[in-house]
Amino acid sequence: MSLDSTLAALAEPHRRRTVELLADGPRRAGELAEALGLSPPAMSRHLRALREARLVEESHPPFDARVRVYALRPEPMAELKAWAAAAETLWSDQLLALKAHVEAETGGT
Amino acid sequence: MSARILVALRMKAAPERVFDAFVGEIGAWWRPNPLFSFTPRSPGALSFEGQGEGARLVERLASGKVFEIGRVRVWARGERLVFGWRQAAFAADMDTEVEVRFEAVGEETRVTVEHRGWETVPAGHVARHGFPDQVFLLRHGQWWTGLLEGLAEHLR
Repeated sequence: MSLDSTLAALAEPHRRRTVELLADGPRRAGELAEALGLSPPAMSRHLRALREARLVEESHPPFDARVRVYALRPEPMAELKAWAAAAETLWSDQLLALKAHVEAETGGT
Repeated sequence: MSARILVALRMKAAPERVFDAFVGEIGAWWRPNPLFSFTPRSPGALSFEGQGEGARLVERLASGKVFEIGRVRVWARGERLVFGWRQAAFAADMDTEVEVRFEAVGEETRVTVEHRGWETVPAGHVARHGFPDQVFLLRHGQWWTGLLEGLAEHLR
């Protein structure tokens, strides 16, 4: 994935707003266009940019193959959480090591 | 969630003692972490060279080479220590900072570590370093951070 394309995708206010709306749950392109006050072609262009940046994915509800529903992809969140957990683990480990070190000499009392 | 890591732990020793151990004996207690290794040839031995602001935190490798992790920006014995944190893979314009606070809690000391500035990581760094791209979206500012918090709630 290209970070630049992601940043570019999010640099546009309508696209940021789209991502915020999708945070509440999947929506159809028409609903998004209405909420943002955009024409359908403009909305399509923004959704394509978000898809290409892999921030959203489209699916078709089983009852109607003509309708496209857009949803946020969960992976970015999962990866970010994994990274933050790794960095937290780094420092938790260091502090535990420091604690063991300073308490060893005082007998831990 | 943000590009800031915050961890705290209490230990049975006075703040001055914990501070002295942190800076003076880091080589004895530091545990290398492969995810955050300073250089491709790490791990080596960590030490603070000098005292006070301007002291250097370095890693001395088996080869004899010395890698400077960062310089001390605040040195308040028993209270606060702030130093830069760079890994060899970091780009020139990237800088993270570690702040350690030492607070007396009765007979013990609460040590708090705040590691911030990860949002300064440039895009090109990601592939070499294995951090997920999304971390670097934090460069995009607080908007994205707030959004991620919303997403985290949403996806829980």
